[in-house]
Amino acid sequence: MPLTRRRAARITAAVLTVAAIGLSAAGCGSMSGKETIRFAFSKREAIPFMNDVVATYNKSQNKVEVIMDTSGVDVTSASFVRGNPPDIALANHNMEVSRFVERCTLTDLADTSAAQRINPDLTPLVDQYGVCEGRTSALPYSVMSASVIYNKQIFADHQITVPQTWSDLLAAADKLKAAGVTPFYGTFAGTDAWTIGQGWFDYSAGGMVDMKEFFETLHEEGVNVGPHSRQSFQKDFLEPMNRMLQLTDNYVNADAASRTYADGNLAMAQGKAAMLLQGPWAFSEIAKTAPNLELGTFPLPMTEDPGDLRVRVNMDLAAWIPERGHHHQAARDFLEYLYQPEVIDAYNASQLGFTPTTDAKQNDDPRVAGMKPYYDAGQMYQGPSVLVHKSIPVFNYAQAMVLGADPQATLATIDADWARLAFRQA
Amino acid sequence: MAATTPTPAAPAARQKIRITPERVNWSATIILILCAFTVLLPLYVTISMAFKSGTQAVDGNAFSLPNPISIEGFVEAWNLTNFPVGAGVSALVTAGTVAGTIFLAAFASYAIVRNWDHKFFRYSFFYLLAAMFIPFPVVALPQIQLTGLVGLANPGGVILLATMFQLSFSVLLFTAFLRSIPYELEESARIDGASTWQTFWKLIFPLLAPMSATVGIFAFLYAWNDFMMPSLIIADAQLQTLPVRQNIFQTQFSNNYHVSFASYLMAMSPAIIAYLFTQRWVMEGVTQGAVKG
Repeated sequence: MPLTRRRAARITAAVLTVAAIGLSAAGCGSMSGKETIRFAFSKREAIPFMNDVVATYNKSQNKVEVIMDTSGVDVTSASFVRGNPPDIALANHNMEVSRFVERCTLTDLADTSAAQRINPDLTPLVDQYGVCEGRTSALPYSVMSASVIYNKQIFADHQITVPQTWSDLLAAADKLKAAGVTPFYGTFAGTDAWTIGQGWFDYSAGGMVDMKEFFETLHEEGVNVGPHSRQSFQKDFLEPMNRMLQLTDNYVNADAASRTYADGNLAMAQGKAAMLLQGPWAFSEIAKTAPNLELGTFPLPMTEDPGDLRVRVNMDLAAWIPERGHHHQAARDFLEYLYQPEVIDAYNASQLGFTPTTDAKQNDDPRVAGMKPYYDAGQMYQGPSVLVHKSIPVFNYAQAMVLGADPQATLATIDADWARLAFRQA
Repeated sequence: MAATTPTPAAPAARQKIRITPERVNWSATIILILCAFTVLLPLYVTISMAFKSGTQAVDGNAFSLPNPISIEGFVEAWNLTNFPVGAGVSALVTAGTVAGTIFLAAFASYAIVRNWDHKFFRYSFFYLLAAMFIPFPVVALPQIQLTGLVGLANPGGVILLATMFQLSFSVLLFTAFLRSIPYELEESARIDGASTWQTFWKLIFPLLAPMSATVGIFAFLYAWNDFMMPSLIIADAQLQTLPVRQNIFQTQFSNNYHVSFASYLMAMSPAIIAYLFTQRWVMEGVTQGAVKG
């Protein structure tokens, strides 16, 4: 049967070819004579925008060729394990990245000209995600400011002004409810617990508790966090949580427990509710259905003092350059390009974020205008739900409270989790 | 069941037993219809969603028909994932894994079954089976480091690892099937002067064909759909496989259902087409193994 043998030989050859291609593919990276750097970019909504930025940069000079890698944060973590991290990254600044920072695997960016222009108000916020002594490991690139999104038309129809105090807020909600309008649209469904975490949980706590001080104390107390520590979730968060539950129990849509993030955006677009506790990322989703809807934002008032009003911010993107990369100079060159005012301002305008540089021309989109005075005055905090390590399922705890769990007991559980994690890492 | 009826049917007809039309088993039929729905409904949503426009995709009516029919999802998905390259790498990885699994598992099984009384071969069988109990995530970290060290942080490394992970289950299938092939067949080949190599290629491997198809299909589904291993092993994003590229559609903050479903549909099609052409083989392989085993 020569046929069988020939076929077998053919298949064997095919297998070998496949293996050979696989092996050689890694080798042929830079043929063009330009220095190739790998740029990890993790914000998926902004990939088309960043593609253009990279293409423009690659065309503008003939020394560096940037290749964008959008495979996400897990892949980046794997590359650190492998020892070939990206040459430069713009990534969401969170507890995951804090590991790279704290272990001093990122280079010092203090002497870049970009670093000189960073708004000093933001430094303590970046430092909340860990520091490597003596280094500026990461530079903020895009700050997302989040608060209550409201439908201006509905507010005007019912002669409601933006509430500045807790009792104003309750009065407004009562008025809307009496008129048959759903005051807040809740999206408490199973998989979207994060909407409760970043919205209800963070805004309530951030509006009453000084987050910077709170988390500093918590880190100092470590394993002692509990009913007898100076500060703890069960002591400091109970009042904000009770107020949050007062809102979620009385002023949300009846089917909130089964509504998702996407449902919330659709309902806002259709004018089915007056307020939604979401960040600026929701605007582009709402605009898919209602491009001309007039929306505004205001920080959730939790006390009777308008001076306590603060907006929740997060370092949506921060730039860093790992030590293990081989192209530090080229990476820095690209970093300076990214921080050129026209690039960074255009990026943040496209994502409705705030530019973290002192010379920034902030975007004047009316939808985020309500938060701008607070951002400019430095009245901002980072949400507790993202400052807690990922191994504590704080989103789910927040969801449990909203769906009926006892807040006192749930907060005590978070304290116990915190203490246990501190013990494990000690 | 259908395969067993022909033999007893012949004497039955001679005894003139009246063949009544089979009664419809309604409860089973209803259960099967419901089961079919669990497959068909998501498939319908996938297809209709893929042809929707961006506005219609987020309107909250997953079951509505696309109106107007739009292919913007396909265009965007094609560009965002760089589909031709992604599909090419996926095809390469899948072909390599399928071929590697079939040949290596057949070689190993043949050696093991024919030398079962040797301790070495018996224990190597258990050794290979033991790999079934090691899921990839457990060994992910050292494997990322190892592949990085030896220059296999590319599709080649994924082929190697995927083949290895498929090996244990495939060896199990092949050995069970090989035991059912009578040794006398092989003896006759030996008498005709065939070497071991010739016996394997000219006699055993063709006889293994139905089982090879089954093994190949399992390997195909695994390699084509696998997300975690390629995402962690392949270092260069441009050589990434399709499922990993599609990960960009899974975002927390935005919904591009029409783009994602168009992309999933394009990625699914090879698997579905492969299944359409090979399902006869799968069924054959499974029933043959069942009757003889």
